[in-house]
Amino acid sequence: MSVTITPTMVGQVIVSGLLAGALYSMVALGLALIFGVMRVINIAHGTFLMLGAYTTFWWFHLLQVNPYLSLLASMPLMFLLGVLLQRTMVSRVVDAPELSSLLLTFGLSLALVNLTQLLFSSDLRSVEYLTGAFLVGPFALSKSRLISFVFAVSITLLAFWFLQKTKLGKAIRATSQSSEVAMVCGINVERIHLYAFGIASALAAAGGSLVAVMIAIQPEMGQVFTLKSFLVIVLGGAGNYPGALVGGMLLGLVEQLSSLFLTTQLSEAVAYVLLVLVLLLRPSGLLGGRAR
Amino acid sequence: MMRYHDRPGGLVAVGVVLLALTSGIGLWASPAAAQNPIKIGASLSLTGTYAALGQNQNRGYQLCAKHVNEQGGVLGRKIEFVLYDDQSQPATGVRLYEKLITQDKVDAILGPYSSAITEAVANVNEKYKMPMVAPMASTTSIFKKGRKFIFMVQSPAEVYLEGLIDVAAKRGLKTVAILNEDTLFPKATVQGTIDLAKQKGLQVVFVEAYPKGNTDFSAVLTKVRAANPDVLAASTYFDDAVAITRQMKELNVNPKMFGVTVGGDLPKFYELLGKNAEFVYGATQWEPELPYPGANEFKDAHHKEFPGADLSYHAAGGYAGCRILADAIKRAGSLDGEKIRNEILKTDTSTVYGGFRVDQDGFQISHKMVMFQWQEGKKVIVWPDELAAGKARFPTPPWSQR
Repeated sequence: MSVTITPTMVGQVIVSGLLAGALYSMVALGLALIFGVMRVINIAHGTFLMLGAYTTFWWFHLLQVNPYLSLLASMPLMFLLGVLLQRTMVSRVVDAPELSSLLLTFGLSLALVNLTQLLFSSDLRSVEYLTGAFLVGPFALSKSRLISFVFAVSITLLAFWFLQKTKLGKAIRATSQSSEVAMVCGINVERIHLYAFGIASALAAAGGSLVAVMIAIQPEMGQVFTLKSFLVIVLGGAGNYPGALVGGMLLGLVEQLSSLFLTTQLSEAVAYVLLVLVLLLRPSGLLGGRAR
Repeated sequence: MMRYHDRPGGLVAVGVVLLALTSGIGLWASPAAAQNPIKIGASLSLTGTYAALGQNQNRGYQLCAKHVNEQGGVLGRKIEFVLYDDQSQPATGVRLYEKLITQDKVDAILGPYSSAITEAVANVNEKYKMPMVAPMASTTSIFKKGRKFIFMVQSPAEVYLEGLIDVAAKRGLKTVAILNEDTLFPKATVQGTIDLAKQKGLQVVFVEAYPKGNTDFSAVLTKVRAANPDVLAASTYFDDAVAITRQMKELNVNPKMFGVTVGGDLPKFYELLGKNAEFVYGATQWEPELPYPGANEFKDAHHKEFPGADLSYHAAGGYAGCRILADAIKRAGSLDGEKIRNEILKTDTSTVYGGFRVDQDGFQISHKMVMFQWQEGKKVIVWPDELAAGKARFPTPPWSQR
């Protein structure tokens, strides 16, 4: 009782995969940034995404602000929250053994998720803004996903431009490559850490704002994005920023194609099998390790 | 380790206070007060995952005790609940029922919330030959394991989508596709739906399960679109019912009928989806509008007793289950387990919750599911015909015209 797979269907899921992948890339870039600069795996990354989604929801719900416009609120807000948390807590564990930072960010994530539950309850919320699809020939392009894709790609490109061309971006990359040498060259590494955590949180928040228009919002929605981002940066090469892009797109495509050719149940398994294969065959990720 | 009965101890006190509050002033010299009350034991999920649902069921139990006592009690005695909290854990439920029967020496018991906890607890009351009406368990297998002392109140999982299939067949539709969450209850529904479809001459063209917590249905819906079924039946809980509906619109999947099992009946479903929920069919065990005997009085009493509280099928089912037990004790004229069992097996009645009659296994054969359709923001019951309040709007228009 299944269906014959036609080229049109493959085309449709490739489109869906790319639309999802761009979002994964953007969110994972944040995780990669924190890992690259501080060697910290931020388990609370998805939590920032969730908070971004709630920001969009409340702006839309209470003030009727266009959800895409609310990126202008969610990103700076989460940037500030990220900087605050980095300054007060995460900075204490940057050079500590890895377990400390894992525990700290895990704890932070629990605290923030529970606080959100307390404040906003665990009821599902949604931003009913753009539903439906553009019909292009045999393909249906979800309006909300298409617009999210455009935003995700633009924000990611902007982040890359920032990392490549600006002085601060260069300093961030220098710190990724070697924080000792960066320090010797006169870069204020602690300050770079603040920026990196802030920018990463803003990227997650952008993901949240865009996701808010696509799926229902609830306090635990971030966890799956933390996991996926982790998968993406390992696939692409931890700490390698272009790797996050490739990894995100790859994850989106693999998920969709395996759901099509196998079943939705198996698609998660396929993504993790891919992860194991990459770890076995190219442990430094598809594009290699450290950031350049 | 905390000794488990410390916690229930506190809850008994709360239960007694609650009962005292809900049963009004019990000190009048009515005949029922002359003797010790009949103690009915139960544990419900008052905290944990099922808390909201267990609390609803509790309101049904409490209201039943109040009404039974107002009407003179049972065997000339009042009834009184000994109520514990199983924290939504089957293992805790087992310990609590063991304690209720052996230590608290309750006279009768009523079931907990959920199939999972009922399944676990059913071995305890079976051991002590104490009949248990289980109002909130709808998994067939619980009642088909040769147990003699457990009785089902709701319709089984297998018939949740009977209405959808029946209406589809009557409209001359030919093909159906089925999606389900990959867990116990939805899987049972799928098997039942496949059988029903075959009986009614519909062809099942596509079946696929998705994991619990799935949020992206694009690929599976792409396959549904390719299968081009007349009917899409989804065996869901809540989050997935919402996500599937949204993504059907995004992928322009538009079968002539689309129905879900659990979740579509919550007002929240419409709140989240707005106009996109229009025309969606849903299955439910009970709705307050159904013209069952005493339903209006029950509704009013619930509203008066618990102002502002949700009125869901869990409360009505709990109420009905408790009334059935009380009636069976009355007719048996004794608290003997075997005698009560025989009376429950003989029961053939209609309650606020709908029909009640069980076969020799205690499996429910009279209660009917109903199917509603969201029409202009309201759930309109469209099946079965004898309970229908309106006509199904058929077929569903293109997404752009809703």
